Amino acid sequence: MKSNKKRQQDRTAANLRILKRTLFLMAVCGVVFFIPLVWRLYQLQIVQHKELEEKAIDQQTWDKEVVANRGSIYDANGNTLAMSAEAYYIQLSPHEIEQRQEEYREKVEKANAESDPEKREELMPDYDEPTNESIAQNLASILGLDAEDILKRLAKTNSWSEVIKTQVESDEADLVREYAKNNGLSAGIYVMPSSKRYYPYSSLASQIIGWVNYNDGNRGAYGLEAMYDDVLSGQTGRIVTAKDGTGKQLLYRYEDYEDAVDGMDLHLTLDATIQYYCERVLSEGIEKFEVQEGGFVIAMNPKTGAILGWANSPSYDLNEPRTISDPALSEKLTEVQNDTTLTDEERSQAVADLLYQQWSNKALNETYEPGSTFKSVVLAAALEEGLVNENSTFTCTGSVMVDGYSSPIHCSKRTGHGTQTLAQAVANSCNPAFIAIGQKLGTQTFYDYLEDFGFLSQTGIDLQGEPSAPNYNIMWPRDSFTTVDLAVASFGQRFEVTPLQLITAASAVINGGHLMQPYVVDSVTDADGNVVQHTEPTEVRQVVSEKTSERCRTILEQVVIPPGTGKQAYVAGYRIGGKTGSSEVKNEDDHTIVSFLGFAPANDPQVVVLIAYDSPKPASPGALYTSGGYYISGGNMAALQAGELLPDILDYLGVAKQYTDEEKATMDMTVPNVVGMTLADATAKIQANGLEVRTVGEGDTVTDQTPIGGVAIPGGSEVILYLGAEKPTDKVTVPNVSGMNREQAQTALENAGLYLKSTGLTVGSDVKAESQSIAEGTEVERGTVVEVHFIQSTASGGAGSGL
Amino acid sequence: MSRTRKRDLTMEEQLARGPIDLPFLMLVTILTVVGAIMVFSASYPTAINEGKDPANYFFKQAGYGAGGLVAMYVISKINYQRFRWMSMGVLAASYVLLILVLPFGYGRATVGAQRWMSIAGISFQPSEIAKVGVILYFAARLSKRDSEKPKKLNPRSYWSVPLGLMQRTGFLELIPYAVILGSIAILMMLEPHMSGTILILVGGAAVLFAAGIHMGWFVAGGACMGVLLILMMSGYQSTRILVWRNPWDYYATGESYQIIQSLYTIGSGGLLGVGLGKGRQKFLFLPEPENDFIFPVICEELGLVGACVILFLFALLILRGFWIAIHARDRFGALLTVGIMTLLAVQVFLNVAVVTNLIPTTGISLPFFSYGGTALLIQLAEMGMVLSVSRQIPASKQG
Repeated sequence: MKSNKKRQQDRTAANLRILKRTLFLMAVCGVVFFIPLVWRLYQLQIVQHKELEEKAIDQQTWDKEVVANRGSIYDANGNTLAMSAEAYYIQLSPHEIEQRQEEYREKVEKANAESDPEKREELMPDYDEPTNESIAQNLASILGLDAEDILKRLAKTNSWSEVIKTQVESDEADLVREYAKNNGLSAGIYVMPSSKRYYPYSSLASQIIGWVNYNDGNRGAYGLEAMYDDVLSGQTGRIVTAKDGTGKQLLYRYEDYEDAVDGMDLHLTLDATIQYYCERVLSEGIEKFEVQEGGFVIAMNPKTGAILGWANSPSYDLNEPRTISDPALSEKLTEVQNDTTLTDEERSQAVADLLYQQWSNKALNETYEPGSTFKSVVLAAALEEGLVNENSTFTCTGSVMVDGYSSPIHCSKRTGHGTQTLAQAVANSCNPAFIAIGQKLGTQTFYDYLEDFGFLSQTGIDLQGEPSAPNYNIMWPRDSFTTVDLAVASFGQRFEVTPLQLITAASAVINGGHLMQPYVVDSVTDADGNVVQHTEPTEVRQVVSEKTSERCRTILEQVVIPPGTGKQAYVAGYRIGGKTGSSEVKNEDDHTIVSFLGFAPANDPQVVVLIAYDSPKPASPGALYTSGGYYISGGNMAALQAGELLPDILDYLGVAKQYTDEEKATMDMTVPNVVGMTLADATAKIQANGLEVRTVGEGDTVTDQTPIGGVAIPGGSEVILYLGAEKPTDKVTVPNVSGMNREQAQTALENAGLYLKSTGLTVGSDVKAESQSIAEGTEVERGTVVEVHFIQSTASGGAGSGL
Repeated sequence: MSRTRKRDLTMEEQLARGPIDLPFLMLVTILTVVGAIMVFSASYPTAINEGKDPANYFFKQAGYGAGGLVAMYVISKINYQRFRWMSMGVLAASYVLLILVLPFGYGRATVGAQRWMSIAGISFQPSEIAKVGVILYFAARLSKRDSEKPKKLNPRSYWSVPLGLMQRTGFLELIPYAVILGSIAILMMLEPHMSGTILILVGGAAVLFAAGIHMGWFVAGGACMGVLLILMMSGYQSTRILVWRNPWDYYATGESYQIIQSLYTIGSGGLLGVGLGKGRQKFLFLPEPENDFIFPVICEELGLVGACVILFLFALLILRGFWIAIHARDRFGALLTVGIMTLLAVQVFLNVAVVTNLIPTTGISLPFFSYGGTALLIQLAEMGMVLSVSRQIPASKQG
């Protein structure tokens, strides 16, 4: 049969087919399937291992932070500038609150089901139903929040954590806790501990200290708080325990503690008292001179570079860093808020800019043209190089031509200073003289000194935001520093430095030639008070010799002695040296920065200050005086304020007054109490104090005196002794002495039976009374001392002249 | 009962008493034992959480495993030729159970699918029995394919032309298989049981494929399935695809919780793993760590190395199974073994592919490992069938 054979063939073919297909399936099932699986496992277990493991561990562990106490910041005397105290945040768990509400309803139901009224009473909850509305109302009234807002949060019933308020004080926190307890909501409303930063001195040294941002994990946002955040914040501790997928802690599986390490304390070189003096002088000046763009005062120990005080304006309250309190900024804020042309985004940007202005440390973050204050550095360089000496003379004709520049460069005194010695040239702040000195130095040597005095590098202060240096947008590069540049640089114009660079360089000029690295943090101590880090004064380099420095001090002292440009800073009894400066801001009309660099005592400087006001408002556009009659210049504004600041600081530092003979003549003397003495004794005693005697009546014994004992009056004034005669008890009227010079004022007051006590510019004749302590027309007792503040009466130097 | 002496046995009966395939037996035993150990490690946190004895799941699984090994041995003793007629019964029983499970089973309330039945306190999934039924029946019927004479068609019938065409293209012989697969698939989708349906279709198709059915039909069948799948890609199923593509985007909404937890678990293992029993993810993070997601626990505790060893054992088992199929005495044995081994391989592949997010999530358990007593029992019974086939492999001709 053919079919038999064929069937045999078919069967063989079919078997082969089955074999092939089976082998195919075998390859697929036994080999091919496993390739992607192994590849995928490799991807997950080797390539993505770290990442996945991290996430897994993250969810497997219950990690509770133990907050470390943030360190405090103290001033040089241990006064607390910043401290942390316990505060709380209020956290709602809408999910649990919903459960509590359900429980309440169940309880009520259960109670209602009870027939016995007594039992019902017992079972009934003793508080009202905690509805969302009542919770929101109560919490809102305790915490001063918006009830609507809390209601919205409560509506998120699948949430376990809604923080409704942070930085809650403990009394409010207690109220919340009590409310929760009394309404069966202890598991639902949580009062969680945290900490709050307090700044006991509010706005004092705000830009230096900075503040902590609660919205950013309590990290320091500005100033030292930011700069030393690592040190201050300490180490957050943790309690890590394993947990299962439902959040239950598996204590038996894994547990780990990491103790919190409290933050360390900062001890600053800053002295709260000196800081206060600086800020007072700054704000007084800003008001007096109608300053529009703020200003700064830096006080530093020139020998070490330790910052003693550093005031900036505008300022703000560190406890409320997002509130604008400065009057000038507030005005701008109102302007911005009322400006309808701005979009919301632009407006919030403008507000942020204003906030940034108050937070930033202008004297560190920004640069300015130093003006004539820079001449102190040029002086030191020229003396060091031996190119000039005290006997050098300079002739000023009011202007000078410089090679390579087509128009003459003017001096502040257009008529010229004539021939002057070096000291006079400095005291006069004579530009042509300094152009000549600069030319003697030459571009290369001059530039060497720019570098050596640190104007092409950062000072290295331990504060945030010092601009990087050198910045050739504001300073010539060495290879393009021409003789014309040299001429203007010689009197501090057309380049910019930070105020800190200037005061550091000036310190080197007067402290024996040592360029110091300024610093604010004196030491860091741990929670137990052990000193962890102590800042030793760091000398960057010696720039000029001790001898040169001494000569500079002597010459700079002449600036403050009348008739020098800085004479408004003169204070009898203190040897003050300094240099004035005024610089016009490039390309802006009526925008002058007036400054004064001062130090004292001149023979052994204990403190160096740099005071600057940015843009005093001229009475009218282009005017040289403010509406208050102040001539816009460093000498008439900044030096005047320095004259108030320096004695305060020196007094505080315990620097004894040393009077020259000339000063003694106008010095105040204390009137001794001589009542009851014989005339001879009394006269001798009064004369010993440098005062004169006039007698009224006849007799041997002093029965009364004017002024009474203990009052200080100018030396040489008369003390009236009554020898039995009745002391007149009538009142006298205080005359107006404003605008008078010292002699006129003294005569006017003496005629009225009053005594003059002069303050301010007490030496020299070119003065006028600026203010008097007792207003004109006031009825006072005879012999009362009226304090009169004298300032310079004529203008010298000013805007555009570089003084 | 006294044992019949060898000389009294027929040729066939002698063959059925051949040695069983030792490598295969050993691999099955190793996997079962390792599987039970892993069930213990993976299940104790769940057991504790449910307030049960920590070893509760382990004891049950080990009991079923031991029972399964005994069943495997017993079945391996059966002359597999008897499965030919038994197949009809198993298939019929599968239908009955698949229909009964809809009104009398349970699962809808708990997992949303009516997949379980309980008889005499033993719960099982009818689909497990249907898998065996389909493979057995298909293998039995297809093994007689050549010997079936083509049907004589009455040329006068109206049907002769289309039927003749169908016969020539080979469609006619497929109709019974298509009807069986279709009806079972419909019954299972009523539960619904997507993954089980896929496995049964794969098992049936594997037998049809190995039996030599024309490739064209698989292409056509595959295309039909593709169209069906695309049609089903709406609602629940399409989200599944999106979750698969970007699991991290759906973590917050919880839709990808399972797969992300699975990836965490696998990734935590690294090269060498955290150590047997020391896994952390099974503490209520990983869903069903003792069941569908037992493989991640292996990966976490034994690392890439351990996971690869397990996969290697599976690969060896599958290759050995196919080796048995190739050497099987007859076509029925070969097809039966191919069906069982392919099903096993596909199940392993799908399970591991799902837990590693290689493919979208679908609930497929890992043979020998996933907790589930009756599933393990049936699995081992299937292995017994393969071993039974192995006994009748003719000894290689030697010298």
